[in-house]
Amino acid sequence: MKRLHFMKLSCAEAEKVCTKAEYKEAGFIEKLRLKLHLYFCRTCNDYFHNNQKLSALLKKADIKTCSSQEKEVFRNKIKNGTSKDF
Amino acid sequence: MEANSINPEKWVDRYADYLFNYTIVRINDREMANDLVSETFLAGLNSMKNFKGEASERTWLISILKRKIIDHYRRNNSQKGQAEVKMQFRDSDNEGDWLEERVADLSLMTAEDEMENHELGLAILDCVDQLNEKQAAIFKMKTIDGVDTETICNEFEISPSNLWVIIHRARTSLAKCLEKNWF
Repeated sequence: MKRLHFMKLSCAEAEKVCTKAEYKEAGFIEKLRLKLHLYFCRTCNDYFHNNQKLSALLKKADIKTCSSQEKEVFRNKIKNGTSKDF
Repeated sequence: MEANSINPEKWVDRYADYLFNYTIVRINDREMANDLVSETFLAGLNSMKNFKGEASERTWLISILKRKIIDHYRRNNSQKGQAEVKMQFRDSDNEGDWLEERVADLSLMTAEDEMENHELGLAILDCVDQLNEKQAAIFKMKTIDGVDTETICNEFEISPSNLWVIIHRARTSLAKCLEKNWF
């Protein structure tokens, strides 16, 4: 059992790995440790599934944002607008 | 109720994404949407005196934007003479005889689905706006724009594990907020 000690993961860590996994940036060992933790921990398991749902929603919503260059254009326009007024 | 104040320097950071998303779902043209949003900001600046502080700044800007969008449609409609009605009759020469080529594609989204998704997008942005500024900025970069971890860490001068904690917190409060407002 002692050899398996390195597989242990606290809940706080598990949540972090969970978030990482949603962005596909968790390593293989991390994912393995997470799976093991989820197997025993009900709370984290729920959290994991909610997190997946959130990702699905975010993907479904397909939010479009303006790029930073476009924002810079807006900013300049507003600046010029204000300087004209005052 | 306290009166809402107006603060044009913060407009772009606070509302640009929301207004842009609002426009792009109605006018399917990036460039045009950009023009309308910047027109809205300018119109807002010019009529700042008329802002009574009864509504929030964003509601006020949205109401201006709505006008702009309607104007845009009107402008387009005045060129209606050029409209052309196209009817597609099946042409037996060009179309295959396979059944698969003739059935309707069920995987296409219906109009209701699409509308719901647009509303969902606005609801999510609403909730993101309630996070604190740094959290919201990092979350948007990572999740919506898909910027990689290293770039964000360099820009905000934080460590990767710090970044994951911030994103984790942002996601938790976002989930709570959506639970309240969406489901």
